[in-house]
Amino acid sequence: MTDTVMIPRPAGHAVRWTGAALVAAVLVLALIGPLAVPGDPFAQSLLKALSGPEAGAPLGYDHLGRSIFHRLAHALRLSPTIALAAVLTAGLAGLVLGTFAAARGGWTDRVLITLADALLALPGLLLVLIMLAIVPGTALGFWAGLSLVLWVEFFRLTRATTRETLASPAVQATRLLGFGPTYVFRTHIWPEIAPMMLTAAAFGTATAIMAIAALGFVHVGMRAPTPELGLMMVELLPYWREAPLALLSPVIATFALLLGLTLLAGSRET
Amino acid sequence: MSLLKAEDITVSQGDTPILHPVSLHLEPGEPLVILGETGSGKSLLAQAIMGTLPRDLAARGRVALGDRLLDAARPDGFRPLWGRQIAVLPQEPWLSLDPLMQAERQVTETHRLVRGLGTTEARVQAAADFDHLGLTGAGHRYPHELSGGMAQRAAIAAARAGGARIVIADEPTKGLDAARRDEVADLLLAELARGGGLLVITHDLALARRVGGRMIVLREGRVVETGPTKTVMDAPTQTYTRDLIAADPDNWAARDRQTAGAPVLTATGLAADRGGAQLFSDLSFDLAEGRILGVTGPSGCGKSTLGDVVLGLVPPSAGRVKRSEGLAPTAFQKLYQDPVAAFPRHRTLKGTLEDVARRHGQTQDRIDALMHRLGLAPVLLLRKPDAVSGGELQRLALLRLLLVRPKFIFADEPTSRLDPITQKHVIDLLCETAATEGCAIMLISHDPALVARTADQMLSLDPAAPNLDVTPTRVAGALQ
Repeated sequence: MTDTVMIPRPAGHAVRWTGAALVAAVLVLALIGPLAVPGDPFAQSLLKALSGPEAGAPLGYDHLGRSIFHRLAHALRLSPTIALAAVLTAGLAGLVLGTFAAARGGWTDRVLITLADALLALPGLLLVLIMLAIVPGTALGFWAGLSLVLWVEFFRLTRATTRETLASPAVQATRLLGFGPTYVFRTHIWPEIAPMMLTAAAFGTATAIMAIAALGFVHVGMRAPTPELGLMMVELLPYWREAPLALLSPVIATFALLLGLTLLAGSRET
Repeated sequence: MSLLKAEDITVSQGDTPILHPVSLHLEPGEPLVILGETGSGKSLLAQAIMGTLPRDLAARGRVALGDRLLDAARPDGFRPLWGRQIAVLPQEPWLSLDPLMQAERQVTETHRLVRGLGTTEARVQAAADFDHLGLTGAGHRYPHELSGGMAQRAAIAAARAGGARIVIADEPTKGLDAARRDEVADLLLAELARGGGLLVITHDLALARRVGGRMIVLREGRVVETGPTKTVMDAPTQTYTRDLIAADPDNWAARDRQTAGAPVLTATGLAADRGGAQLFSDLSFDLAEGRILGVTGPSGCGKSTLGDVVLGLVPPSAGRVKRSEGLAPTAFQKLYQDPVAAFPRHRTLKGTLEDVARRHGQTQDRIDALMHRLGLAPVLLLRKPDAVSGGELQRLALLRLLLVRPKFIFADEPTSRLDPITQKHVIDLLCETAATEGCAIMLISHDPALVARTADQMLSLDPAAPNLDVTPTRVAGALQ
């Protein structure tokens, strides 16, 4: 009966495992690294400025003589934590509002979609900067700003899928059989949305980490001496000739983390 | 000399044979019908002959086309013949025509690129084709501006423009109503009269009868019976063929009319419209327990809308539906055309049925009893909806409704996607349900024969015919 042409599938599993391995490697470095090699990310020793790796500092020292390994581990805890918190908040808000808009329709839907479109029209980084200026505390500001930027994606995905699902005969049948909205959400809507939400969450995390690093790089994000990926890069940039490894460490770590997340998100078979 | 001769064609997936050796030959002027249910391998046979099998299936056998000898195991050899020797008639013409291109230009293009005519010559030829098929003046329309029949003819013109003498039609009447079905059959036969070969693959007995010629009956990849179509259909020698022919609604025994029980609903002066156009108006009828109301009419006439109005899913633009007092809100249920789309697709059937049973205070015993009564194997419950055959899933859908103890079931073309034998089984179960459960049923079908032999009351929504319920109920309803 099938007259479809079989197209060889890309090796989705391999891609997914590569992504997972990259993210896991970075997380191991961030969480277990400082336990294996104890050290302080803030301790300065100007005598050791820009010197190479040694037992107590496996990646060498920066221009102020601080251990890059420990600063990197600290930075790799900070950005993903803020990013995850923002993605969780945004995902939850997007899910609730998206389902709500799709289920209610009418004015509720129109107001929410207009709000989402309006936010989408603003540059994301600008929104984060505004929130940084309003909210006290840089980490809190990042969380608020990134949540505000990221929820739109989750909202639009949820709304589109929920609308389609709610209009399906399957949902109509379930309602005729006497089930309420909770059951419809649990058996029809959530199984459709869940895999998409995971993909969007992985992309969202990558976007958030990138945003934090980008603002750090232009000196408007995290403040020194907090170790942060973008801030570390810009601090070490003038010394790239003397200490290439020092500069490359945050660059490679950021790249691995973002690539891992993107592979993880992109490999899902829809 | 035969136009096409295929010997010992087999198809297998890995080591599993799907189609056992089949041989056939196609003579000029004599159509060949391959009849079988879904999954009988009839489409695979055609694909093996054309060299268009999906890549994970392997074919073997020899195909002689005119003076060429081809190996079915090497589909690449067939490619140069597509369009030039063998033309495939598309199942759904609207989907096979380019929606952004005028109809005649699509035919001109084939003349020019496949047959190799010059630009002017191709244009003249395409215009001649359109005249020949009664499409004069329709050449500049886009596919969406053509009626179904015109689109089908345009698709035939495009398929034939390459100069192929052999036409293969795979389920050409899928989803068409009786009038359109005959139109397509006549069109195919007209093509045949030009001295070509015609291979029709179908499960539609009426089409097979109309096409005539010779017939091969397939079942589960094996040939059951062969012979002249008329002989096979009038005097089948095999049990399976007999069952298949007996399952044709035209050959069903009429159901005994049921005496009406307590009234379930009364509809008065119903009207509905879609996009500003009125679908029906002033429909009145009432339904009582155990009765079946058959609704017929061509596609798009508002049959399904009428059912949804009765269920309260769509508000009528005029009139009202009054449910009998004391009925539970869930007493009105719907049986869907496509059962796969009516189940939560990520949940096992067991989970879904248990949820319904729990919601309505039924026990597992009731599910088991119904499974047994509907002839369903318990193992099916462990699967998800898309892993169960259409006939089984439709019975499971019926089971799900029965757990609610409904008083009214709106059956929206419940068997239009099923094979004749399965269709008969499902309709029989539906009739049985009406009797044993004391349930009123509104049965919608595009097949007048099916409705005529099943329903106690009939309602025709054909816009050409007056909307008349032919039983006294209608008169009584109108007087109220």
